[in-house]
Amino acid sequence: MEDINLTQTLDHCIKCNVCTSACPVAAVTDKFPGPKYVGPQAQRFRHAGQPVPDDSVDYCSGCRVCNEVCPTGVKIVELNARARAQIVAERGMPLRNRIISRAGVVGRLSSGPHAPLVNFGLSITPLRWVIEQVMQIHRDAPLPPASSYTFRSWFKKHQPVAGVRKQVVYYHGCSTQYYEPRVGQAAVAVLERNGYEVIVPKQGCCGLPLLSNGDFPAAKGRHMYNVDHLLPYVRRGIPVVGTSTSCTLTLKEEAPELLDLHSQDVRAVAAGTYDIFEFLRNLYEMGELDTNFLPIQRELPYHPPCQLRAHRIGRPVLDVLGLVPGLRLNESHAECCGIAGTYGLKKEKYQIGMDVGAKLFAFVKAANSDLALCDSETCRWQISHGTGVATKHPIEILAQAYGLQIADSR
Amino acid sequence: MNYDTIVIGAGIAGMLAAIGRAEAGERVLSLSKGHGATHWATGCLDLLDIGDSDPLAGIESVIALHPDHPYALAGIDAVESGAERLRAACESGGYPLVGSLRRNLQVPTAVGTLRTTCLVPVTMAAGDARQLPRQGDGSGPLLIAGFHELRDFFPPMVAANLRTLGFAAEAAYLQMPPHERTLDFSTVSLARLFDQPAFCADVGRQLRQLVQHGIYSRIGMPAVLGLANATQVVSDLQSAAGALIFEIPTLPVSVPGIRLYRALEATLLQAGGRIQIGSFVQRAEGKGKRLEAIYSEAAAREQRHYAARYVLATGGIAGGGVRADHAGVMIETALGLPLRTPNARADWFAVRFLSRSGHPVFRTGVAADAGLRPLDAVGHVVYENVAVAGSALAGCDPIREGALEGVAAATGWKAGRV
Amino acid sequence: MQTISTDVLVIGGGATGLGCVRDLAMRGMRAILVEKGDLTNGTTGRYHGLLHSGGRYVTKDPQSATECAHENAILRRIMPHCLEDTSGFFVITPWDDPSYGDIFAANCRKTEVPVQEISVAEMLRREPALNPQISRVFEVPDGSADSFLAAHTNALSARTYGAQILTYHRVVELIRTGDHVVAAVVEDLRTSERIYVECGFILNTAGAWAGQIAALAGVKVTVVPGKGTMVAMSHRMVNTVINRCKLPADGDIIVPVHTVAVIGTTDIHVPDPDVYGIEPHEVQLMLEEGEKLVPGFTQHRALRAWAGVRPLYKDQDVANDRDISRTYKLLDHQQRDGVDGIISMVGGKWTTYRLMAKDAVDTIAQRLGNTRACRTADEPMPVPDFEHRSGNHAGVGAEKLYWLGKPLAAVEEEHAYGDLICECELVSRARIHAAIASGASNLDDIRRDVRMGMGPCQGGWCIYRTTALLYEQRAQAAENASADRPAFDIEHANAAMLHFLQERWKGLTPVLWGDQLRQARLDELIYIHVLGAHRLISHAEQGGGLVTEER
Repeated sequence: MEDINLTQTLDHCIKCNVCTSACPVAAVTDKFPGPKYVGPQAQRFRHAGQPVPDDSVDYCSGCRVCNEVCPTGVKIVELNARARAQIVAERGMPLRNRIISRAGVVGRLSSGPHAPLVNFGLSITPLRWVIEQVMQIHRDAPLPPASSYTFRSWFKKHQPVAGVRKQVVYYHGCSTQYYEPRVGQAAVAVLERNGYEVIVPKQGCCGLPLLSNGDFPAAKGRHMYNVDHLLPYVRRGIPVVGTSTSCTLTLKEEAPELLDLHSQDVRAVAAGTYDIFEFLRNLYEMGELDTNFLPIQRELPYHPPCQLRAHRIGRPVLDVLGLVPGLRLNESHAECCGIAGTYGLKKEKYQIGMDVGAKLFAFVKAANSDLALCDSETCRWQISHGTGVATKHPIEILAQAYGLQIADSR
Repeated sequence: MNYDTIVIGAGIAGMLAAIGRAEAGERVLSLSKGHGATHWATGCLDLLDIGDSDPLAGIESVIALHPDHPYALAGIDAVESGAERLRAACESGGYPLVGSLRRNLQVPTAVGTLRTTCLVPVTMAAGDARQLPRQGDGSGPLLIAGFHELRDFFPPMVAANLRTLGFAAEAAYLQMPPHERTLDFSTVSLARLFDQPAFCADVGRQLRQLVQHGIYSRIGMPAVLGLANATQVVSDLQSAAGALIFEIPTLPVSVPGIRLYRALEATLLQAGGRIQIGSFVQRAEGKGKRLEAIYSEAAAREQRHYAARYVLATGGIAGGGVRADHAGVMIETALGLPLRTPNARADWFAVRFLSRSGHPVFRTGVAADAGLRPLDAVGHVVYENVAVAGSALAGCDPIREGALEGVAAATGWKAGRV
Repeated sequence: MQTISTDVLVIGGGATGLGCVRDLAMRGMRAILVEKGDLTNGTTGRYHGLLHSGGRYVTKDPQSATECAHENAILRRIMPHCLEDTSGFFVITPWDDPSYGDIFAANCRKTEVPVQEISVAEMLRREPALNPQISRVFEVPDGSADSFLAAHTNALSARTYGAQILTYHRVVELIRTGDHVVAAVVEDLRTSERIYVECGFILNTAGAWAGQIAALAGVKVTVVPGKGTMVAMSHRMVNTVINRCKLPADGDIIVPVHTVAVIGTTDIHVPDPDVYGIEPHEVQLMLEEGEKLVPGFTQHRALRAWAGVRPLYKDQDVANDRDISRTYKLLDHQQRDGVDGIISMVGGKWTTYRLMAKDAVDTIAQRLGNTRACRTADEPMPVPDFEHRSGNHAGVGAEKLYWLGKPLAAVEEEHAYGDLICECELVSRARIHAAIASGASNLDDIRRDVRMGMGPCQGGWCIYRTTALLYEQRAQAAENASADRPAFDIEHANAAMLHFLQERWKGLTPVLWGDQLRQARLDELIYIHVLGAHRLISHAEQGGGLVTEER
């Protein structure tokens, strides 16, 4: 397709409403008129110099199912995100959104030796009730438990493998750093097993929650910080690999497109960023992946998150874990878990999120497994919340298949 | 990853090709950029619009007269077996298609004319025009029933036009049963509501009252009678109403179309195929007469795919497989294959929109040989390992010929033969 | 034949005629307006929608420029809901004479057209799509106008003052007694009934057809139809009127009006104002000129092309049509031709319609001994039922200027998104019903009222829906059939749908490529494959003469 600017993709819309028929949010609530309406249709009525006339666009969860099924390539979610950003620019952002979109700050404050206290507090029902009243964060929203140590503190003590020529940068993102450092540990172990020295440079929050909540200026600051710190590696041909499909999507596409950042540097970092299973699959296709796997005789439910499908790279987890003898993964074929980043945490959207996720929850429960897999952190927390089933990043299973022990030191 | 066959396009043609290869034991990937005509068309199988007669015989004539026609390239066997494979896929999904390949059906449309088709879902079978009550024949009239809230189906217009054709038809609007959704009743959202027993039962009660009052023998309704459980929904409504019930296809989004797609999708997944929607194939890498790899658009890059064989089923102009620029240059968007197209922009369109012969530009497509391999302007094969199927083929206007699903099924199934 | 009697018969239901009938009625004169099609069927409904600042005429036609400048301000007061304050830029591109900029600015000042030069950086900040090679920019108070809504607004106001407005009524004869025109014979095209209208005065505001009407009175008026082709682009890549800063030429203006950006226009003589087509080279020219103002213009989706005829009054030979003055001319046929009881108002442009009406009505009033002052500049006009109102149904006078987001804000406020009939243009079921109740008898009438079918899908869904609604609403009222609203059955509905589909098609074929070609194929799938609308032809042939003539 021709390289036209994002807003101009609304021209591709042939009004077929396939997007609306697939939208998981429009299917469960009257508050969202559907992607065609709030995207390419409403965009013709928006004017950069006038107030945004439609609030209903805020109910778009950003799951990108519409983009996926659109036959003509309208960038619906991006149009919606920009409309939301214009609303924020006009009216400001409520305090709640300002807080939850600063994932790095929240994580930094919650994690560490006092994490157990924070976690305990967030599990007390009356306290959650108060938080709901004051902050409009739903009392049942799946807030993840913070980790008592950060990933970077672990990595500082980690002994790198010696005498290795190949290098890779690991982008951990806030979820690994503050909530699930063992995901990063598994990633490092797998990459080292494949002959890579893992570098963890200075980096910050990718800014996706800021983008999704419409604070574009702050998001731009985050993105450029990461570009500046990742660029030297990318320029030397060292790829950037991430375990959060949301973070890597932001570096690859969401930040550059939504913020209209198209410099050489931004493009270089985008072109050098990979989802970890995408990276491992590439290694396999070049014959460079270590395929000495221990068998894992298990059948596990796997949900490819919206933010993975938005990479448009297929199912790298299925491709790579499909090489592990005995391991069978069953793909959920459900559209969305409903959390959509920070969307499902909000009081007014929590139930919508749970209704959206119902089909996925039913699938996971019907699998009768004590473990489910998903490559996106917020989705893992939502799936556990909705099903009671522990949910892990597939990289942990791959580490297991390599026989690698992941010490989850608390 | 290694695939034996990659199919580009997930319409009827692409899905049947993929199913054929997957069931023959191949590793198959279906790549597409979204959903297209499956979600817009009627959800039936149209073979050939020759009125109320034998479509297979009609197709044999087409094959004899037009050796370049997609039906000729597919061959009559593939027409039959493609249609039967489609029928079987729907059957195994609990959503049977009924009809005979030797006898066309005529069924009502949402404006109240009759359209010609061949196989219809069982939910539409009672709309067969041969069985509809005619004025003065003494049987209970036909009721066309709908909902005000559904903007894609209007019973009074349907009934009025059916009356001009001599049918005994009346119209009524039903009350929307109470539900927590109060706004925006689209075809799909209504279909989901009909899947719920309480909603369905409420409508059944309303229909019963109408039937008792008007002595209706059968009821035509918009094609929204369930998404996952349509067969059961229509059966339940018939029992409740005490009259035969049939669906009439509405404006897009087509619920019967989605049901058809889902049956094909389930069949392909069952056969071990992989489906990747949202990936637009934008270029090809060939070496001589072999297509080596294709590239689909991905975030910040392209994704490279390679297979031994490829099927191009990208749907012509409607599907986005053929695109024109403002200077009138046509391109085949996935592989850059040569196209057969009317010579000049001046020849593209007929003066009248509804002209019987249609608009020449929509016959644009890839020329192919009897193996469905793409040909260039002088008739040489471009790629030995590519098969072209469906509306991507030149030499046919499937919409005007009343052969939209038939051409797709025949050529798609043929492309699926190893 | 029925006979009716009135003071003034206004012939022609474009902006001028409607302005006249309102002014006449406000001054207490009995007035009837007849129009052979729907209101704005002629030039008024086919131009690009510019509310002139006057900037386009400051050099070649200064009187026009000043008229526009004054009327622009007046119209904003009396019909704000019909106008959008887009502002306007006159830009010097690399293809224009850079020295013209100062001449332009000076001439603006001379003609009282407000003008201010702004920096190119400011221009790009406000309109990032514009050509960064533009060297100078002058801002003027251009706007865009909904001429259909304005017509209905004037009509509504005129009716409240007692005027009668008869659409689909064609003048077939003007009756003279000696050198005095005393009456007209008018035919209702829907029923073929004729009416004899006795009148004190005939006011010929038939625009491009003014010559034909004058001929019926035995008077020669030469109006040269100057065809202009325009292309509507599917979305507004600019929100300001963009003019090339040079003497007026083809394709030198982009007007953002409602949801589209219109690029125009050409100027080709045609012999008959009812017969003309759109040539591919005209469309190509528009796109090429657009490319100069907006780089990448040709990559945008073109929605449709159409043409209108300018009514150029020729009272002397000029070399170039663009040199014919665009100011208006009042032809007092008693003084000019010795024929009393008829005057013609020719030329002019939409922006000055009210002034033209005033002059014409002043003349007639004097002849008829009416001494009431003209108040058309002072009194704001009411909003038709089928239109959105600003805020919460504030009263007349509280209306604000139209803004692009207004329909969307209205739909959001009413939570009407589930009830949209034309989704592209956000037209709810209630507004369709109001348009039909206000007199719309076919889909083209409805389109003009509420923009149904004017969006990117060009009627794919809404043509079907609107036809069904039209049928339901009119069939229900069938018992109340009258001279105003003849009987309407399913065959009329079918004919309306088929006719409208064909009308849309004519404006589409010149621009079908890219996304729009794909859209057309989807629309074909809907109307042929799903609906079987082509099967309606055979029994809709005798649909009854209700629609505008085929072109």
